[in-house]
Amino acid sequence: MTVARREVLGLGLGGGLVAALSLSRRDVWAEEVVEIRMQGRADGAQVWFDPIGVLIKPGQMVRWTNYNPGNSHTTTAYHPANGKPLRIPEAAKSWDSDYLLPDESFSITFTEQGVYDYYCIPHEQAGMVGRIIVGEPEAHGGWMEPVAASRGVPDEALKAFPMVEEIMAKRIVGRL
Amino acid sequence: MKKLLLVPFLTLASSLAAMAADEVAKAPPAAPFQQVSKLVKLPDFLPGMGQLFVDPATLPAGPFLAYDHDGKLVSTIYMLPTKDLNPDKSFDNLAAPGGNVDHVDVYYNAGHPGVEEPHVHVVLWHVAAASEASVAK
Repeated sequence: MTVARREVLGLGLGGGLVAALSLSRRDVWAEEVVEIRMQGRADGAQVWFDPIGVLIKPGQMVRWTNYNPGNSHTTTAYHPANGKPLRIPEAAKSWDSDYLLPDESFSITFTEQGVYDYYCIPHEQAGMVGRIIVGEPEAHGGWMEPVAASRGVPDEALKAFPMVEEIMAKRIVGRL
Repeated sequence: MKKLLLVPFLTLASSLAAMAADEVAKAPPAAPFQQVSKLVKLPDFLPGMGQLFVDPATLPAGPFLAYDHDGKLVSTIYMLPTKDLNPDKSFDNLAAPGGNVDHVDVYYNAGHPGVEEPHVHVVLWHVAAASEASVAK
């Protein structure tokens, strides 16, 4: 069972909640926050997460921030709780940031090993998705297989996910 | 005789159009138009477009009325989902209350709250191209 926490950070707009990381031993080595930028072209023709794929350690925090001045974005797990097929570990909790306005942030600490796929609600059909892999590949060879449920996921989204093997090799996969 | 009847009709139509344009020339336009940022979670002022108002009953196509920082109407925008641009669908009689059109832009948009699917923006600019800078930021 995951103990992933959810915090919303207000950045650059007069404060907000500050993430309170527990100081467990695990968090000491996994204290680096991974930043994922929500971005888009000025005319709204293209939108994306950057990086689109990351490999992190259990207990590490990921923070999404909206750097797109003309649009709102979400980070939302592929999970039945969000009306989508399950594309995160069964034991992990779902998440949905709700709409983030420009400069707003949302953070989660991931503890359950596995592959996590997520999307942006208004931009899923435009292929704005991302993938996070949590864990150490050499110790968990079987878990890294990509989750297969894809019914109801637009083709543009399915095409956009970076390959698990590429994330494993590079640790961070930027937007092409 | 027919010409005599036609002249007052055209004059009336022209006057009504001018009245409609006057009613939306300054923000906020009267009901049923509502501020988009109060209907969905979007920034109040969208760079490149301005402050948007729409009658929710007309979504997703609109028209959306866009105003600059001084509350002046700069454009009327229609948002047409790309999946609806097909032989079985059409958009007819879309309202155009903004008055004279200087030029038109058409471009693709990946989606945003309110129109959460890829669509095309058809922008009727009521100001000269050089004045688009008033809504650039």
